[in-house]
Amino acid sequence: MEILRCEKVSRIYGSGDGQVTALNQVDFSVQKGEFVAIVGASGSGKSTLLHILGSVDKPTSGRVFVEETDVSGLTPIQAAIFRRRKVGLVYQFYNLIPTITVRKNILMPLLLDKRKPNQEYFDKIVRTLGIGDKLEALPSQLSGGQQQRVSIARALIYRPALLLADEPTGNLDRKNSGEIIDMLKLSNRNLNQTILLITHDERIALEADRIVTIEDGRIICDRMKNRDALQKEWRG
Amino acid sequence: MWKNYAADYIRHNRAGSGSVIAASFIAALFLSFLCSTFYHFWLDAVEGAKLENGGWHGRITAELGEDELEEIRSFPNVEKVALTGAYETVWEEQASEKREAVDITFYNKRTVYKDMQDIVRTLGLSEEAAEYNYQLLSLYFVRIPGDTMPRLLMPAYLAIVVMVCISLILVIHNSFAVSMNNRIRQFGIFSGIGATKRQILTCLMEEAFVLSAVPILFGILLGVVLSFATVRAMGTFAANLAGGRKMDFALHPVVLILIFLLALLTVLISAWIPAQRLSRLTPLEAIRGAGGAELMKKKHSPLLSALFGMEGELAGNALKAQKKALRTTSFSLTLAFLGFMLMQCFFTLSGISTRHTYFEAYQDVWDIYIRVKDEKIENFEQIDEVRAVEGAESCIVYQKAKAVSMIPAKDISQELAAAGGMEELAGIYPEEGNAYPIEAPLVILDDQSFAEYCREIGIEEEAGQEGVIVLNRIWNRAESNFRYPEYLPYIQEDTQKITLLGKGYSDDKTAMPKEVAGNVMIEVPVLACTGKAPALREDYGKSDYPLVQFISLGYWSKALERIGGAEKDLFIRVLAKDRESSEVLDRMEDSLTGMMDKKYEIESENRIREKRDNDTMIRGYELILGGVCAFFASIGIAHVFSNTAGFIRQRKREFARYMSVGLTPEGMRKIFCIEAVIVMGRPLAAALFLTIAMTAGMIRASYLDPAEFMREAPILPILAFVLAVLGFVALAYLLGGRKILRMDLAEALRDDTML
Repeated sequence: MEILRCEKVSRIYGSGDGQVTALNQVDFSVQKGEFVAIVGASGSGKSTLLHILGSVDKPTSGRVFVEETDVSGLTPIQAAIFRRRKVGLVYQFYNLIPTITVRKNILMPLLLDKRKPNQEYFDKIVRTLGIGDKLEALPSQLSGGQQQRVSIARALIYRPALLLADEPTGNLDRKNSGEIIDMLKLSNRNLNQTILLITHDERIALEADRIVTIEDGRIICDRMKNRDALQKEWRG
Repeated sequence: MWKNYAADYIRHNRAGSGSVIAASFIAALFLSFLCSTFYHFWLDAVEGAKLENGGWHGRITAELGEDELEEIRSFPNVEKVALTGAYETVWEEQASEKREAVDITFYNKRTVYKDMQDIVRTLGLSEEAAEYNYQLLSLYFVRIPGDTMPRLLMPAYLAIVVMVCISLILVIHNSFAVSMNNRIRQFGIFSGIGATKRQILTCLMEEAFVLSAVPILFGILLGVVLSFATVRAMGTFAANLAGGRKMDFALHPVVLILIFLLALLTVLISAWIPAQRLSRLTPLEAIRGAGGAELMKKKHSPLLSALFGMEGELAGNALKAQKKALRTTSFSLTLAFLGFMLMQCFFTLSGISTRHTYFEAYQDVWDIYIRVKDEKIENFEQIDEVRAVEGAESCIVYQKAKAVSMIPAKDISQELAAAGGMEELAGIYPEEGNAYPIEAPLVILDDQSFAEYCREIGIEEEAGQEGVIVLNRIWNRAESNFRYPEYLPYIQEDTQKITLLGKGYSDDKTAMPKEVAGNVMIEVPVLACTGKAPALREDYGKSDYPLVQFISLGYWSKALERIGGAEKDLFIRVLAKDRESSEVLDRMEDSLTGMMDKKYEIESENRIREKRDNDTMIRGYELILGGVCAFFASIGIAHVFSNTAGFIRQRKREFARYMSVGLTPEGMRKIFCIEAVIVMGRPLAAALFLTIAMTAGMIRASYLDPAEFMREAPILPILAFVLAVLGFVALAYLLGGRKILRMDLAEALRDDTML
């Protein structure tokens, strides 16, 4: 079942001589339950793509459908509600709200909707992510790895159609990076959560089922995982 | 490099510098206004001292020849020597002896005492020959040994200026702190690549100087203009008052330079406090500490959360995280609200009180009131002329005299005895012969007025009849307060005679005449005892429990003059036929003063003018105090503007985080509204609470009816002030919020400079 579809998506910044094309006629789709890694060099357009998919940014042209809803033409209010309910965003620098507790950070999308959380689901997430004993702490009282787990929990709490992770391990050491990727894989497997992961780390990309390579705003390669062949290709 | 950096920062961050510029401008304005006005007051005090005692610094009282004068002139510090001619001095043994005196002015006033001592020694005179103009010298901060007066004027001015400087530093240093803390990370990086603490401190201080120099100059200029306007207004007002002196505005260039230095010092100290704190941070502390507003401890905002949901909680916690940055705002707005509300309540209460005790209580008893100085009523020849003045309904010429009466215990009224007697009610105890020594002031009315008074209270009287009319009432303080007094009869209604004791005029109320040799004791018949006083402006004192008696001028001249005790001045009270027209009163006052001022020294009052002057004075006070409140409010508002103007830099990541998890623009507007209401609401609530408590205390202390205050409570001006401040705060949040709502979310989430 197709959950995401991009049709000729372009994003151009600036005008005249200073014009920069971040995305150029990108066509791309994702099936439900897929774990997709988007790789590319710095400035290749991968973060721009993620922001457009998360309705944080709008394409200059083209259309983006999430569960058959065109998110490229949403009003600011509709876009905010879409972010709240349909996507979970995980950032390199966590973007937790420093003034409220971990529990409220996780529940934030639900609280903004004035909805009560499903306690069982909440317990399952925090148990799986290993942050059950940190719920009453402030984000600043947690380590980087713990903060990123909270950020993943927040992204998952609304059971979104898409979980978009922008370099989620970029700020973590090897051990914590491994743990975070394991968490994402676990949620992909156990909750059938669709995940789009942006990274420039080949080892992390290899954990995904599908790898999409972007260069100069275009998708130059889109293949299903064949770990050995890919490793050889990149090293060669 | 640092200069370029600072200049570049200032050029590109005008909004962030706004609060610093505003704070410097307002501080300079306030200091300049205060110092210019105080300087003027000082000049006025010097002028007053010169008018009162002369402009000399030292005076030598002795018969001096030309050689001796020349010798005085030869002292290097002596500026001027003036022979003042015949000078009447009062020596203990040589009263009113005519002596020569020499007035000396000096260049350096600090050494006046030493120089004068040298001069009298050189002339071979005793130290007592030297006198000093204590009052004038004290205005130059020169304290002469032997001056026993407190001389607090100049120290008070200085203390106020110092206190204002300290308050300003406490208030505006936060503006600098907010502006500097925005760049903590940048300075962390500078420090990381080798910038020394001194370099960072110098950079920040230079930046503060550049930002504040021009606002200080403009602030000083406007302060001087405001001071000029205030002094001019006060001068106009003072010139219209009795004994008032024309006031001219003057400002010495040195004072202007001192004001500039004082304002600059105040502003630079305010900048130095956060700058040295910032320069002391290690690179790691600086980079870590730059993560925006964070809470150190978990906080809850249950009320806001319950009222406004998640947005309420976010707004409440964000404000708690910004607590330090908002301290100036809270402090200034609290002071502004408290000051304004207290001022309004105080003037309302004072107005009600004045109306009760003065304008209302005496409204119907006088229109023109004239004090004729140093004149005995029996010698006053213009009684008939005064009484015949055009437009007068009634007129009384009277004089007061002090006396004491010994009232036997048996003559005290039954009602007074039942209420606890003199001991309980007035704290007066019987002396020998079981009689109470009671102050028994006499009011001597001109014969015609006395006759009118007799008719008024229903007794037959022919002018000059021998006897007194007793105002037979005593304030029952156990059952009533001074504001709404209730009275009891003082003595028995059928009392036939009263014994009066007197001895000349004496200010010493404690000296009982009978203890003084040569006193006079007279027994006078009582014509009547009444509870009604003639229509005079006097309030027959509630504190001393006097037994007031009215007598005719004829009887005073014939029988009582010898007991003495008459006061120095006599009074004329006039009621007009047309009581509402100020022109009529002015005309009548002119006629009365015109007929007397050649012969007597007089002071006149006019009821309508008095009311007008009183209103003007209150308006003046309100203007000055309102200005102070507006000053504090403007600091608070400037700070709110500075905070919100810096939103895009300080809080864009915070709001980007909210938006990334699905907070709608409506939700953000809700947060801004909640923050604006709390930023203003908290100081307002604190000020309101204090105002209510203090006003309740004032109402209680002044024995006024709370319902009367409530009817006249200054709700409208307070509401207008609060709404004006709310308007500015709302505008600040509207402008800041608009910037945040227009920000590029993707860009904000990508930007890591605020981490």
